Amino acid sequence: MRDLRYAFVALIVLGVALVTAAGCGRADSGGGSSGVKGGKLKIGAALSLTGSLAKEGALTKQGYQLCQQKVNDRGGVKVGDKKAKLAISYSDDKSEPDTAARLIDNFNDDGTKLILGPYGSPSTEAAAATIERNGQLMADSSGADDNIFTKGYKNTFAVLSPATDYVATIVKSIAQDAKPKPTTVAMLSADDGFSQTAAKGGVAEAKKQGMKVIAQESFPEHTTDVSSALTKVRGKHPDVILGSVHVEEGIAIVKQSRELNVKPMGFGETVAPPTPDFKAALGESANGVLGSTQWVAQVKGSDPIFGTAKDYARDFEKRFGTAAEYHSAEGAAACLALVLAVEKAGSADPKKVRDAMAGLDTPSFFGPIKFNDRGQNVSKPMSVIQIQNGDVTTIYPKEQAQAKLDWPGTGG
Amino acid sequence: MAEVQRHWWRWVLGFAILLVVATAPAWLLLESEQRTLASVFMFVVLAQGWNLIGGFAGYPSFGNVVFFGLGGYTTAVLMVKAGAGFWITLPAAAVVGVGFAALMGIPILRLRGHYFAVATLGVAEGMREVVINTGGLTGGNRGLTIPAVGADATTSYPGNTGFYYLFLVLALGAMVLVWGVARSRFGYALRAISQDEDAAAAAGINTTRAKIAAFALAGLLTSLAGAIYAFQQVSIYPDRLFSVDITVLMVVMAVFGGAGTVIGPMVGAVILQYLSEWLRDNLTDYHTFVFGGIIVLAVLVMPMGLVNFTRDAWKQRRISLLAATRKYRL
Amino acid sequence: MTEFLQATVYGLLDGGLLALFAIGFSLVWGVMNIVNLAHGALVVTGAYVAWKLNTAMGLDPYLGMFVAAAALFAGGYLVQRLLINQVVNAPIWMTLLLTFGLDLLIVNGLILLFSADFRSIRSGIGSNSLALGDVRVPYERLAGFGIAVAVTLLLVWFMNHTRTGLAIRTTGMDRAAARLMGVSVRHVYALTFGIAAALAGMAGAVLGTINTFSPASAPQFTLQSFVIAVLGGLGNMWGALAGGIMLGLVQAWGGQYLSGTLINAIAFGVLVLVLIVKPSGLVGRPFYEARAEA
Repeated sequence: MRDLRYAFVALIVLGVALVTAAGCGRADSGGGSSGVKGGKLKIGAALSLTGSLAKEGALTKQGYQLCQQKVNDRGGVKVGDKKAKLAISYSDDKSEPDTAARLIDNFNDDGTKLILGPYGSPSTEAAAATIERNGQLMADSSGADDNIFTKGYKNTFAVLSPATDYVATIVKSIAQDAKPKPTTVAMLSADDGFSQTAAKGGVAEAKKQGMKVIAQESFPEHTTDVSSALTKVRGKHPDVILGSVHVEEGIAIVKQSRELNVKPMGFGETVAPPTPDFKAALGESANGVLGSTQWVAQVKGSDPIFGTAKDYARDFEKRFGTAAEYHSAEGAAACLALVLAVEKAGSADPKKVRDAMAGLDTPSFFGPIKFNDRGQNVSKPMSVIQIQNGDVTTIYPKEQAQAKLDWPGTGG
Repeated sequence: MAEVQRHWWRWVLGFAILLVVATAPAWLLLESEQRTLASVFMFVVLAQGWNLIGGFAGYPSFGNVVFFGLGGYTTAVLMVKAGAGFWITLPAAAVVGVGFAALMGIPILRLRGHYFAVATLGVAEGMREVVINTGGLTGGNRGLTIPAVGADATTSYPGNTGFYYLFLVLALGAMVLVWGVARSRFGYALRAISQDEDAAAAAGINTTRAKIAAFALAGLLTSLAGAIYAFQQVSIYPDRLFSVDITVLMVVMAVFGGAGTVIGPMVGAVILQYLSEWLRDNLTDYHTFVFGGIIVLAVLVMPMGLVNFTRDAWKQRRISLLAATRKYRL
Repeated sequence: MTEFLQATVYGLLDGGLLALFAIGFSLVWGVMNIVNLAHGALVVTGAYVAWKLNTAMGLDPYLGMFVAAAALFAGGYLVQRLLINQVVNAPIWMTLLLTFGLDLLIVNGLILLFSADFRSIRSGIGSNSLALGDVRVPYERLAGFGIAVAVTLLLVWFMNHTRTGLAIRTTGMDRAAARLMGVSVRHVYALTFGIAAALAGMAGAVLGTINTFSPASAPQFTLQSFVIAVLGGLGNMWGALAGGIMLGLVQAWGGQYLSGTLINAIAFGVLVLVLIVKPSGLVGRPFYEARAEA
């Protein structure tokens, strides 16, 4: 027992010594402003690999990894007349915005000026402020909240559609295809910034489409019990229940509606239904639920690196053994935009790449990529899916649709 | 003075370290390293704040983050909604922190042990919910963004070097404060309370006043740290500013280094912050797991904290772990 | 009126489940004066055991929960015997720190093993409900409530009528006296923690049928256990049940008649209020009152 304790101490002493060593012997830093060193183009990515957003962070990382592989398979990034291998270095922000911002500073000291975004709006917002101060450039893969883009930041570009589209797109698809057309809507929303913004966009669109919003309820983010919101809504018999939610609240809405015998014509639940967890948890009851997503394999358009959306899906499955989904596609698209901008600028200088990025107008596996003056990709439509017979089926917009909207969509 | 002569080498060493730390941004540290160190200094402040109430008075607060959040939100709200300059918000944050500590201390400091821990935790969590639900003032879950660049900025952003010095000064202030408390009558009163509160009261110590004073000092340090942190972060969210994790970290750091000692919390903050940074850089997927393991080991091997552990080992000229641990074993 | 009754039904049933989380937490706190910050992690571990058995072998979660309980009992016994017993007499923040470290280990271990995906367990019952007029009583929640009540009854019986139970109670009241009476305190402490872990594991399995879970849910369960244990009075089994039901009801009614986002604020408000007004808990006289908590 005594020996064991000595071993413990030795371990701790060793740990402290290692830390001290790491603090003193830091790698040679700095480097030219070109960003290309030893035939490598270094890009930094601070991602939530642990903590509450670990799952989404890991998916985004897969998108970045696939991008690096595809780019390097074709010889690398063309910077001027030379080719440089893409080298993305990853750091874990522990799902904490302040850590994300600190990591951006780390990259800056390293001479890494080109950055791929962290996961989630709060981290992206914190990173964007730092990016702006340091004169770095960030391709944002997942920060959709409009908050990030109203501050006049010049160096952050988001490839994804803005938060206000998430519920609004579902409303549009229902208004266009649903027969009988619903007239009343209840809006349930988690209380985080992103969900609230999305809900606001949805309410505005519903009014525009001539539907009446008869109830708006909020509940704490990550709750698994939405029964009080549903009980309040139940007596008003809404035709459609819209949820601006994450997976866990989305599952709760459908499950508890069934328990409580709340039977609208359909449910629309933003990001929850496209995830495999949704179907796994709900089984039969998942059928008919609508969801919105940044990307599906039916998206039209292609680019020189990934090809079409179908090619992307195939390559993704080959590399990771799981079906491609939208988080990783956002990551890959952000990386794609950055690579295309570098090639267009012919340089890795962040200022030149920034200007090239601002002028980017290209089709891609992710849909059109073209930024407005705030840095948002508003030209890209979001897709609407419905769970039909247990499969995630694209139903909107028309050119991507695999099947017609199944209406009334209340499943099970 | 005799003290100074006997320990002259400590003073020399202390000033040498201080000199290096104070001038380091100019010749030694990259911007990102300044930022990392700024957060180390911040945790020195937080750990010392906890040390006053938890270490000296023996009241294991599990909700000190409430002062951190209140300080941060005081600064942010004043800067965003009232257009106040940053420097004016600092005393305001301090007043809010001290005032809230005193108000909350009156009912809650009557509780002891785990009950006190739970009550403080409840207050901190409850305050976060209040901030979330008063969106008009605090922005709720959407957070608040302090204007830091351009014409809207009321105070120009100090940058990484600026925050390095801000947190450094605050950390030094915290060290001096705790050092002063430790050798004052007040400090002895707190220690007496921690040993046996009833006996302390019987000995003529006004325990209520001493406890509230300690809590208020903790509130002062912690709310100032929160105020600076809010400006440093620019965008703040209730989930982050009232995060239980921050409380846990300050407790862990103070206890790891040695609760109730003057330098223990500082040692704990420096070592653990660097350790977690180093682990994150080198063990991308496993670092939190390993960090948990290290905490468990540290508790088992040196339950009295690193500083006391080292001191005992030094005095006895041998590293005797068994003797130290045996007294806590069942 | 329907709304009120419906909210009451949900509050009551949810409360039962909450109580099942908290009984073990309250027991450990009451008997050993240890606040177990890893309690939520134990609940989630139980949920994963039942989930794995369900997905890999098709075992029904209502049977899987016994396996989860057995596995966690063994794990809990060892953790107390080998780790926590080493620092039981240290100042209370040391045990807080130790269990915090354990929490990090377990939660991150689960993420490494099972990823951070949201899971839920499909029970044979499905999300159907009993209709009482307009008020619905969901079967899965009813089952969870039934299990919570049954476990509480069983535990009360165990504590009052078996040698081991009495040994645990005696040790909780006066450790020195228990030792003089020939009780092996080390063993009793380990047993207590094992029982608490087993109950947490069982609760996790039941929870998995009702809600989604992921390793990140752990802190929330710990917090809820905290609140309930205090509401009910430490180490008091009936108290934990009553505290759980009260929290469930307060949250359900609060969500119904105030803003839905205020649910958490209400819970913590009630907690602080109870602590200030009646720190020994709401239910009767806890049998550990004899021991001074300091």
